[in-house]
Order: sequence, then C-alpha cells, then structure tokens
Amino acid sequence: MTSTPDITYAEKLAKGELDLGWLRNVSSEWGVRAKPSKIGLTLRDIAIGSYGIIPDVAPRKTMAPRGSDVDSDVPDMGYTINTKAEVWSENVMELYEEAVSRQWSATRDIAWGDIPELSPDLEHAMSQLCTLLSEVEMVAADFPAKWLWRINHDYVETKMFLCTQCMDEARHTEVFRKRALVNGGGLGKAKAVVEEFLKLILDASSYDEGSALMHLLGEGIVLSLFRAGELISPSPVEKQIFRLCMQDEARHVAYGTMHLKYRLQNDPSLAEDFHAFLDRGEEIMTTLLSTPEVVEPIIVLAAGGVEQAAEIGAAATGMLGQRVVEEYLQRCERAGLDRRSRLTLPTDLDWVSQALASK
Amino acid sequence: MTTTQLPEIDVKSRGWVDQMIVNATNDTKSFSHLGFADLRLALEVVDLDHTYSFGVVLDGYDFDCLGEIDSFDDFQPEVTLSGTVEVWREMLSNIKAHGAADTAHTLNTLTIAEFPMQAKSQDPIGRDKFFRYAATLQELFDHAFTHQKGGDK
Repeated sequence: MTSTPDITYAEKLAKGELDLGWLRNVSSEWGVRAKPSKIGLTLRDIAIGSYGIIPDVAPRKTMAPRGSDVDSDVPDMGYTINTKAEVWSENVMELYEEAVSRQWSATRDIAWGDIPELSPDLEHAMSQLCTLLSEVEMVAADFPAKWLWRINHDYVETKMFLCTQCMDEARHTEVFRKRALVNGGGLGKAKAVVEEFLKLILDASSYDEGSALMHLLGEGIVLSLFRAGELISPSPVEKQIFRLCMQDEARHVAYGTMHLKYRLQNDPSLAEDFHAFLDRGEEIMTTLLSTPEVVEPIIVLAAGGVEQAAEIGAAATGMLGQRVVEEYLQRCERAGLDRRSRLTLPTDLDWVSQALASK
Repeated sequence: MTTTQLPEIDVKSRGWVDQMIVNATNDTKSFSHLGFADLRLALEVVDLDHTYSFGVVLDGYDFDCLGEIDSFDDFQPEVTLSGTVEVWREMLSNIKAHGAADTAHTLNTLTIAEFPMQAKSQDPIGRDKFFRYAATLQELFDHAFTHQKGGDK
C-alpha cells in the first residue's frame, strides 16, 4: 500500500478525465434491495445476499465493511478476535435494534422533582445502594470497550450491540449517581470486595472469561438487584429508575446467555473453561453478598426502616436470594452449561436472615 | 394487598383486555417514546373451577388481543402472567383508582416473589423479555382504563 498522492491521477482529474474504476469494476454484490420491516429497516432486513453471510473465520483484519470490495493491500488492524463463535449470538441483531429503540434519558425521563423526603435511615440506605450500583455499572462499559477494538469488523453487529451496552451502562452510572445526590444523601461507602469483582471482569484474559463473568453472572445478578430495587423503592420515581435500568440489563443478559450457547454449540470442549471462570466469579460474588454495604441497604429499604429490618427485611432478602440464584442457574442451563452441580453461590440467603436475627 | 371495597371489574371476560389494547393503541405517543417491543404474552386469570387465559401480542409499536386462548401449544406465549381472580381485580382496581399502578401494585412488585402473581416461562430468554419490556408492559396495564396521568409512574 502506498500513501503518496497519485500525481498522474491528479493531473488527469484536472483535465476532467475520471477514473471510474469504482463504478465499472466492483466485485461486491449489486442489485440488493433490502425491504424495511414493520418497525423500519433493521439489521436483520439488510442481512441479505452476500452481505448477510457472516464468516466463521474472518478472512481479513480490516475495518472494511463486510461484503465490500476490499483492496488486497489493506493494513492489518491487529484484531485478535477473528472467529464468529468468540462473540456471536443469534439474537444480537434484534438486541441492537431494541437497544437503540429503547434508549432513555436520566436527565429527561426521571421525575427528579417528585422524590419525597425520606427518613435519614432510608435515605442513607438508598444512597448506599446507589453508590454500589453507580460503582458496578461502569465496568459493564469498560469491559466491552476494552475488547471492542480487538473484535474483527466482520462481526460488526456484535460491536454495535456492545456500543449500546456502553451507552446503557454510562446512563446507569449517571442515574444512580444522580439519585444519590438529589435528595440530601450523597455517596456512601465503596468496598474493596466490590472492586475485586470488577477487577476480575476487567482483567479477564479472554473475552470468553469476561463475558461469562459480566454478561451472565454479574449482570444476571444485577438484573435481579434491579428487580428487587423496583420492589423496595420508597417512591414511584425510584421505581421508574429501576424499571428502566432493568430493561437495559436484561438485554445484556440475553446477549450473554445466547452468546455462551453459540460458543458452546461450536466448541463443547470449552465448557470446563467456562465452569472455571464462573467458579472463581461465584466465589467472589458469595463474599460480595455477605458484605453489609451490599446487603443491608436492601434489607432496610425492604423493611421500611432499621427497626423492622432484622425480621421483615431479612426474610424478604432471603426469598429474593433464592430467585437470584435460580434465575442465574436457568440462564446457564439455557446456554448449555449445567451449573447446578458446580454452584458455589449459596442456593438461598437464609444465612443473611440468620446473621441479622442474631444481632 | 387489601381486598376490601373493590369495584366490580369483570376480569374473567376479555372486555378489559380489549379496552386496554384500544386505550394503548390510541396513545401512541406514550408507547413510541418507550421503544418497540416483541412479545407473546398470556394473561392467566385463575378462578376456583376454571382458568381464563387471554393472548396479547406486542408487535413493534402495535398491540393485539387474541381473546381467550384455548391452547398454549397453539399460542406459544413467551411469558404467562398468572394470578387469581382476586389478585387481578385488586391490581386493576388499583390502576383504575390511581390512573396507574401505585408502588404496591406494579407488575414487578406483584411477581418478583412469584406471589401473589407469577410471570411464568418455559424459557429463561422468554422470561427475561418480561424484564426487557418492563416499562412498556407497565404502561400497557396502566392503560386498562381511560388513561389519566398522575399515578405512580
């Protein structure tokens, strides 16, 4: 490849002599007419003809659009993820469209002025929960961002979906930071054990490892946390926050579940690797779920105050814990990974109830 | 949940579902803002001697009520929202009274413990759609009656 200007061409162009090679001698597919579907022209609609063929192994490492007529001397972009199975999921095109369609604004769509004055304990609890969520959400942008440039452009639909995830997580970080600061509470404690889990995701040695830890385990549990947040919200404003975040998080989990399924279908021998990733992740997650700053704000909010927390809140949290773990196990099963015999997470959080009852 | 002084809402007939769909269809602005949805949802109203099941389809920005469904095998719902007659009546009465569900009567609140309602699915991906479209579904049910803003949303 040369980067020097073609003087001969410039001189011809000055005389009005066009090259038109791009017009007459193109080997990409011509005559393709994508038809918009009911909601508009979707990625699925344009995945037609040769443009819809997603190679199992990318033939080049270039940013050239898939299906274009690519120069033979394009530079190598240094992509390290060059096989479809490493990043693909069968629902990724639909999830991208859904993500774009269902974006929301933490500034515009939340009725910030309607948040009622809470008792100091409840405001502290909400602020601590928001501190945790504001802390953990950004890793789900940092991780995809770290890997995006390594993913071959032939899998651009996955890259586009991961870009929506980065935007989603930025908004989650934003909305929980705003909630912590809007009602007099401010930010609470940030714990080392939380950072350890985030570091495990960020430092993952492969996309496989990070995706399993983040999309499947971490975000699956955060999705349940958002559901719990909606339940225990002291006002309709927080309900709306958690409901909107829940939607975004469920898309990421849907990608993670179906990606793992695609990955294992293409190479079942990887199952043990994924078990090992999740063994380690569950171990830290178990520690995380026994951290007061993580568990107790939920208990206090569920009970409506500190006084009632030991009895009502702990029971509610124990019940929710069962759902969290069961939903995670079901997703693993759907992906083709039976975690039930390997699970290191507590199958219920009765120990939380017992610990609190003993106080 | 309280069960006293409930207005009579016939939750066992498809009328309220049809009305909800009509109300939602007439308020495109609220729903287009939330984005499109794609879901086959069954509503299961459990009475002592009979279970009434209604099919609802969310297709892009459109809603459709398929009426009472005889066979789940034919309809193939991705999620089934199930509760007793009393629970459905309580939820709808609350929506009617407030213009939207209050904090104790949102879909998530009622289903998260699988009691008093359940969001059932054979497939975790289907069940997760209940979460993916949570705002749309809540808005839909909040449209069960002639819509008046001002509820707990």
